[in-house]
Amino acid sequence: MREKILYVLGIAALAILAWNINGIARLPEETQQGVTFKIIFFHVPMWAAAMTAACAALLASVGFLVTKNFRFDAAAVAVTEVGLAFTTVGLVTGSIWGREIWGIWWTWDARLTSALVCWLLYAGYLMLRKAIEEPTQRATFAAVFSIFAFLDVPIVVFSIKWWRTQHPAPVFWAGGSFPPDWTKHLMWNMLAMLLLGIVMVAVRLRQEEAQREIDSLRRTAHAL
Amino acid sequence: MILQTPLIAQLVSDAERLQHQYEFLSYGLTAAWVILVVYVLMMVARERKLKREIASLRAMLEEKKGSSPNRGATYDSP
Repeated sequence: MREKILYVLGIAALAILAWNINGIARLPEETQQGVTFKIIFFHVPMWAAAMTAACAALLASVGFLVTKNFRFDAAAVAVTEVGLAFTTVGLVTGSIWGREIWGIWWTWDARLTSALVCWLLYAGYLMLRKAIEEPTQRATFAAVFSIFAFLDVPIVVFSIKWWRTQHPAPVFWAGGSFPPDWTKHLMWNMLAMLLLGIVMVAVRLRQEEAQREIDSLRRTAHAL
Repeated sequence: MILQTPLIAQLVSDAERLQHQYEFLSYGLTAAWVILVVYVLMMVARERKLKREIASLRAMLEEKKGSSPNRGATYDSP
């Protein structure tokens, strides 16, 4: 049943993307940036999915520390890994967009730097997990580190409001303008990315369960 | 002819600008999908590896249980 739901969600995400890409291709050019501006339809949904994953990782980590239930730990690692993939895409698409519009691949402004720090922190989280053998210790240290890493997330989100940055100010909540039909396509892409993210997290979660089964089988084999 | 030359130059310049913009748009989209596809492929490879490992461990356990002399024995506490 769970498999079937995942297949349906995955197909729905890909169908929405295929249909929406067709609609995005038909949109007119943006007046200042031309067609390059259409990167926004992938750049922003990737970051939205990544930030949602970071919030989910925070909740799962707090959940583990409170309950000591390893399902929360599995959820935390699954969403963090998928979120890191989305963050990577967000950074790379942003850099390519910046090269065309600003003439530079990278600049150390508050938004870009905090985003890179966010990527490094969550990559560090996954490395930390690999470095600790004992499961309870690993889950506890990782949960504490994940909560610490989340401190960077509000800085990433609000940096363009708090400081003057090379990265443009927010289009949606700081007086920027975005035509309603463009917003509609952006929202559809956000939904598709979130669905894709949910499918990837569910698959990753199943892998964590398989890993736990392997650990338990190994313990049984040693006991025999 | 004199009037047409700047117009042609303008058209050529617009076409070049558009081509350049499409080039960067395609770089962005390609990068996005390549990263996601690579991640999905890594996940698929990990899934296969885990399944293989579970199957081999189960087979090993069955073999050990089958050959164990204490098969069916219970542990008596002192």
